[in-house]
Amino acid sequence: MPISIQPYREEHQKAVKAFNLRLRAGTTDPNLVFYERAQPEWLPPFDGSPLYNQYFVALESEEVRGAYALKCERFFLAEHGEYAVACYHHPLSEGIVNRKYSAVGSLLLRDALGREPMLYALGMGGLDGPLAKMLKVMGWSLQLVPFFFRVVHPYRFFRQMNALRRASWRRALMDLAAFSGTGWLAINAAQSAKRLGRPIGPFDAVEVDEFPSRTDDLWLEAKDAYRLASVRDHQTIARLYPAGDKHLTKLCVSRQGRVIGWAVVGERRKDAKFGSLRVGSIVDCWAHPVNAAAVVLAATQALERHGMDLVVSNQAHKAWCQALAGCGFFQAESNFLFATSKKLSALLSGNLSDFHLNRANGDGLPRNF
Amino acid sequence: MTATVFERVRVIASDVFGLPSEEILATSSPENVDAWDSTQHLNFVLALEETFQLQLSPDEMEKIRTVSDAATLIGEKLRAANG
Repeated sequence: MPISIQPYREEHQKAVKAFNLRLRAGTTDPNLVFYERAQPEWLPPFDGSPLYNQYFVALESEEVRGAYALKCERFFLAEHGEYAVACYHHPLSEGIVNRKYSAVGSLLLRDALGREPMLYALGMGGLDGPLAKMLKVMGWSLQLVPFFFRVVHPYRFFRQMNALRRASWRRALMDLAAFSGTGWLAINAAQSAKRLGRPIGPFDAVEVDEFPSRTDDLWLEAKDAYRLASVRDHQTIARLYPAGDKHLTKLCVSRQGRVIGWAVVGERRKDAKFGSLRVGSIVDCWAHPVNAAAVVLAATQALERHGMDLVVSNQAHKAWCQALAGCGFFQAESNFLFATSKKLSALLSGNLSDFHLNRANGDGLPRNF
Repeated sequence: MTATVFERVRVIASDVFGLPSEEILATSSPENVDAWDSTQHLNFVLALEETFQLQLSPDEMEKIRTVSDAATLIGEKLRAANG
C-alpha cells in the first residue's frame, strides 16, 4: 500500500500508540516513541504566534509507519533579517524495527523539506547517527556545537561519573582521586587557573518568574552582534519560558540598574551516564557578546546554589565559549550537531563561532528537564 | 522496463549497497539486502536521479521497494520524458 504523509490529527492517536508499541517491542531505546497526542503539549499552534510545533504522520492505510515534528520559529540572519525556519525533530520510522519500511525515513525528510525548505536540526547524538548521515547525503551542512562542563563537587564527580568509569582501571583511578582529595585539588586548581586574567566586572543577578519587557530592547540591541540567532524578543521568551513554570529557573542580569542579559538554567533529567550526579545546564541565554561572561557566571552561580554537582552547556558563539572557559569550564568532545538544509545554508554568512545557539534551540525543552 | 535500464539500475544498486552486481537481483529489497537502510535508500534515489537526470517525487520514492520497482519506475519516466 502507498504511504502518505499528513498532519497528525486526533483520529491518528490510536495508530500512533500502536506504532510506539511496535517500536518499543523492537528496540531497547525507551526514547524511540512519538507524541501520543496530536495537539502538541509544548508550543502548540497559538493565536498566530510564529513559534509553534506541528506533527506529521506517515500513513499506510490506517497504520502509522512513521512520524516527524517541525518546530516553526524565526531566525535572525545577518544581512537578511528575520526568516521563518523550522527545526526538524523526532523523526521516527517503522524501518527501525521492520526493514520492509526502510524507505520511510527518507520519505519523512523529503516531505519536511517540501513543506519547509528552511530547515535545521540540532542534537542527533553526533555525526554517526542515522539522521546525521541522511542529512549529509541530502547536502546539509553539519557542524558540532562545542560542549563545556564545570565540576562543582569533585568527590561526587569522581565517584559517580559513570561515563568515565567504564574500565576497571579508570574506576580505581577515579576512586583514588576522590578518596585521597587529589582529584579535588587538581580540579579546583585547573578551574581557578582558567579564571585568571579574565575580570568580569560587577553585576547583579535575580531569579524572576517573568522576564521584563526590557528584554525586547535587549534583543534589538544585541542581535546585530550575531550572524545567526534564534529570535529572542520578549514575546518569544515569554512563550518559551512562561510565568509560573517552575522546572526551569529564569535569571535577569543587570549592571548599574540596567538589564544586560538573561539566562535560563535547569537540572537535567537523570541519565545513567551521570550516575546519581545532579547535572545542571545553561539552557538558554542572551546578551551582547561583551556581557556574555557576566551572564555565564550568574547562570553558573545559580546552578551551584541549587545544589548541582556538575554544570554543562553547549554554546556556539566564540564570546560565549570564551565566557565559559573564563568561568572555569573545560571543553570536551561534543556530539551536539547543528545541521542546516541547503536553502538555509545558502543564506548563512560567517562561521559557527559567529552564531548564537543553545540547547534550547533544539527539541529537548521541556522533557529533558 | 528494458534490459538496459535494469542493468544500469543494478550497477547503481551494486555501488550504493556495496554488493557485487551478480548479487543484485530484481527482487533485492531492504528485506534481503543488509546495507539497504534509510540512508542508503536516499543514496540510491539520489544516484538514480543523477544518473538518469530525473527528479523523483516522494510518492515515486515510496514506490521503490525492490530493485525491479526502481528499474520499472525509471523506465516509465524515461518513456514519458521522451514522449
